Amino acid sequence: MSDAGIVRLLLFRVGGLTWAAEATMVREILPRLEPTRIPGAPRAVAGLINVRGTLVTVVEGWRALRQPEPPAGTQSGSTVLLQVSRGRKVVGFTVDEVTDLVSVDGAALDRRQALPGVDPSLVQAVGRRAGQLFVVLNTDALLTPILAS
Amino acid sequence: MDLSQYAELFLAEAREHLSACNQLLLEWERNPTNPGPVGGLFRAVHTVKGMAATMGYAGVTDVAHRIESLLDLFRRNAHPASEEVIQLLFRARDALHQAVELSVEGRERELALAEIIAELDDAAGRVASAAPGGRVSSLPTPTPPTPPTPQAPGGPAAAPAQGRLVRVVLRPEAPLKGGRALLVLRKAQSLGAVYGVTPSPPELEADDFDGSLAFRLESSAPAEQVEATLRAAGDVEQVTVGGAEVPGPPREAASGAVEAGEVVRSRHTRVDRRRLDALMDLIGELVTARGRLSELAAERRDPAVDDVAIQISRLSSDLQTEIIQARMTPVWQLFDRFPRLIRDLARELGKQVAFRVEGKEIELDRAILDELGDPLLHLLRNAVDHGIETAAERRRQGKGPEGEVVLAAVREHSSVAISVADDGRGIDRTRILERARRDGVVEARAEALSDDQLLRVLARPGFSTAERVTSVSGRGVGVDVALTRMRALGGSIELHSELGKGSTFVLRLPVTLAIVRALIAGVGRERYALPLTYVSETVELGTAATTTVEGREAIVLRDRVVPLVHLRELLGVAGEIPPARRPIIVVEMGGRRAGVVVDGMLGQQEIVVKSFDAPQGTLPVFSGATIMGDGIPALILDAGGLL
Repeated sequence: MSDAGIVRLLLFRVGGLTWAAEATMVREILPRLEPTRIPGAPRAVAGLINVRGTLVTVVEGWRALRQPEPPAGTQSGSTVLLQVSRGRKVVGFTVDEVTDLVSVDGAALDRRQALPGVDPSLVQAVGRRAGQLFVVLNTDALLTPILAS
Repeated sequence: MDLSQYAELFLAEAREHLSACNQLLLEWERNPTNPGPVGGLFRAVHTVKGMAATMGYAGVTDVAHRIESLLDLFRRNAHPASEEVIQLLFRARDALHQAVELSVEGRERELALAEIIAELDDAAGRVASAAPGGRVSSLPTPTPPTPPTPQAPGGPAAAPAQGRLVRVVLRPEAPLKGGRALLVLRKAQSLGAVYGVTPSPPELEADDFDGSLAFRLESSAPAEQVEATLRAAGDVEQVTVGGAEVPGPPREAASGAVEAGEVVRSRHTRVDRRRLDALMDLIGELVTARGRLSELAAERRDPAVDDVAIQISRLSSDLQTEIIQARMTPVWQLFDRFPRLIRDLARELGKQVAFRVEGKEIELDRAILDELGDPLLHLLRNAVDHGIETAAERRRQGKGPEGEVVLAAVREHSSVAISVADDGRGIDRTRILERARRDGVVEARAEALSDDQLLRVLARPGFSTAERVTSVSGRGVGVDVALTRMRALGGSIELHSELGKGSTFVLRLPVTLAIVRALIAGVGRERYALPLTYVSETVELGTAATTTVEGREAIVLRDRVVPLVHLRELLGVAGEIPPARRPIIVVEMGGRRAGVVVDGMLGQQEIVVKSFDAPQGTLPVFSGATIMGDGIPALILDAGGLL
């Protein structure tokens, strides 16, 4: 992400925070699907889902971002399909709610990475929208270690 | 003319001819006094030369021409070939092969052919002077002068070599008719001189070329042979080999012949493998959707919907069968490369080895065949290197001086068994046993190694490298590779070895990877698929007596102890307490068995095998995943991983 120019971001909510991913990394947004568990996989991996005949591994958003577990019975939310490893793989990422798709000036984003309760290596920048803070995620840094095979 | 679009076609055909050259050279080498293979060699090299000339590959054309000139001397004089000449021809064939590959990649500049060309010219000079006048008195009939006129054995030898009119009609739907027509002409040139081509070659390349051409062929080959040779160009609908002015039948008659099914042989066409893979993926999705449709139809209880569901189900089954069939490839496409390899290896090691191939026509899914090259190579190399003894040692053992290695393919019901057998020294178990005890593969007090245990010891990564001096040095490396690859393909390996008599490795493989019949088992709320190939039977827990063997729970089934694997515990399945009466699925692979305890059986169905990215830590007991009729994925259990 360059400092200058317009950046398109997908905003979503996981736990108590609003997060953002670069729209160029987002392949598709699906409703939440019940995944098939993969025995032995890390806890953050929810399992496999079927996306029109292709098997996609899904990462549980709240676990990966160390957010509190959503109350039992709330099965709403979305699965965002993200490209990782320079577009070579597609991974599902569960979020509580997709809130917006915004275009922001890259220069207006704060390069700050230290945030309470958030692993700094996952934070690309911090932005603000309507007085609300959002964390722009480094999705590769977040997902690649979880999925390493 | 721009022929780059034909490069792939050229490569595929040239490879076939060069592979045939290897077989023919091996045949000639075994029996240098028999000139039988020479005609075939000449034709193969001549065809490559013709095609290469069309493509503008000067290096290939040049080498092929020199090989052809040398072969021509033998073809006319039928004198025995010296060892030296045959070795040279092997090298020349390899150089030609390399020239073909590099030329197609546009790397002609890297070719270094001067040396082999000089050697070929040299040899030709020597052979020609050794047979002055180019005649050998023992030859029953004087050989006709150029142009060469190959004769089919038993063909009408009396046919004078005069130009016959040949008409060829390409299939109307054939793509790139111009290129096809050129290939037809190349094929014709492999039989004799070709002239009077109408329409003229530049016209053949025009967009409006309708696919029918005529030319004169100067060859004494019988009409059937001419027809078969031309049809081998592919996409040929009709061939008429006439006398002087016999007009070809009108087009209506030609299409009549199609309906009569006479052109079945020409229906072979090359299809890009990626296209076959794409078709397989699509049919996979269709099978999944079909399952979903059937379920929906069953819920609706609407006879009209039911009818359509049944019809679609039948159609997609047929389509699936056809596509799987289209992917089937005869094993000779892989096996044909081995005779040459065995020969080279035997020469290098100074051993005498007869190599036999059986079951060449057995077919396997292309994707499986592609993966088999490496494992077979390792096993064959081991057989020659470590299995077969030197001639002197064999004599001492009371065996013939020549060892035998047999590569055989056999179709079993739902799988194919490929065996690599040698009649060499066998594996020395006492030596291996010592090693196995030390490594803890068997108990310290174990007295003997079963074939199965022996295989496991040999397959330990790096097993042999530490003991280079033993009689099985290197063996482990190959077995390790082979076993890993077989597992990945859902197959197995068996070993039978007898000291002094030889060893046999049997590779058992599914016929196709893509779609398998599987048992669907339920554990808690989860479902798992288990390919039926490895299921030997199912019994019920509680009815069979359980016992404990070596600290593991087991059942005794017809006097055999079968250790149990509780899937619920192995996979960490959460949920309610399992039912008291539970099925045990007995899986068997390579002589080993295990009883897989599940909660319930959910039926049998065809599943489409898909791979998935297994995250770190995933239990190594899955060979892939599939999508069930309801659209939800289920993991496929790997029998090898459970044992």
